Amino acid sequence: MNKLLLVISIACMGVSCTSADELEYEQYLVNGEAIYKAECANCHGQKGEGLRNLYPALKGNGALENSDKVICSIKNGISADKAKSSQAMPPNAKLFDLDVAQLVTYLNKEFGSNKDKITDKQVKMALDNCRD
Amino acid sequence: MLNRILAVLLVAGALWSCGAEDAQLPILGQKTTDENGKVIEHTIPDFSFVNQYGDTITQNLFDNKIYVSDFFFTSCPTICPVMKSQMIRVYDHFKNNEQVMILSHSIDPYHDSVAVLKDYADALGIVGDKWQFVTGDQDAIYDIGQNAYLVTAAEDTVAAEETGGFIHSGAFILVDKKKRVRGLYDGTLEDQVSQLIRDIELLLKEEDE
Repeated sequence: MNKLLLVISIACMGVSCTSADELEYEQYLVNGEAIYKAECANCHGQKGEGLRNLYPALKGNGALENSDKVICSIKNGISADKAKSSQAMPPNAKLFDLDVAQLVTYLNKEFGSNKDKITDKQVKMALDNCRD
Repeated sequence: MLNRILAVLLVAGALWSCGAEDAQLPILGQKTTDENGKVIEHTIPDFSFVNQYGDTITQNLFDNKIYVSDFFFTSCPTICPVMKSQMIRVYDHFKNNEQVMILSHSIDPYHDSVAVLKDYADALGIVGDKWQFVTGDQDAIYDIGQNAYLVTAAEDTVAAEETGGFIHSGAFILVDKKKRVRGLYDGTLEDQVSQLIRDIELLLKEEDE
């Protein structure tokens, strides 16, 4: 009987652990979407479709494969030269690491192929190592 | 009996179509009266700006044209991209109609040089003369925005970081062939721009008569 209880309780813990992770991931997506709509969608479009050759589409954009670079671009912006466009991407210095983590988690899930959660620690590390 | 019903329907139909033809856009702006007591409607005064091709353009370019005017700047991080994606709808809809033009004024002439405007227009896929992107004397642009086109355009000294340094209305202003303002629309809203497109169609019919 005791053994059965133990097995059940371990099983329950296992389930609740997964749920907590999933819940947090979902929360990141919800917050990330809100940040995207407020800070990015004006130029990149509500559905990541971009605007002709003026603002690049994010949907299926290969640049999303490199999350560290995406993190640096969001926080520090991209000069017109590097963007290979007449438009520079403005920096968004006011976003906290957690904001950026939630935003990039959302971008990856919505427009890219990476379904992993980006943590604020990852963001901090990436920002410490931005090339320029 | 059937004939009577038909007659009534015909009359009703005729009245209905008369009613539809009567639909007209308002003429906006302050009317004034000259010394002879003649009412003078508000019209867009003469102007001179430089377009994306480096050519000086004046009101002559818009003689006998219906045009949509707006105010923006290329580095605008807020409403401009949405306005431009909506203006592209107007551009595409009237692509083959030479009677319709677009005039976008930059309110940041120090940054938006002819070369910058040309790059911007190219990136949007705009060719030819239909859509004019213009720059010029900053005071002249602010003045024409506020006094002629009835909208706001100014430098932002309060929340410059948020707005990119300028505040401006997101309005699209519809001007008829007699240089009169016939409608103001929120250029950030899809349904208002759909209304603008319908109103231009209406104005084209009015002007044809």
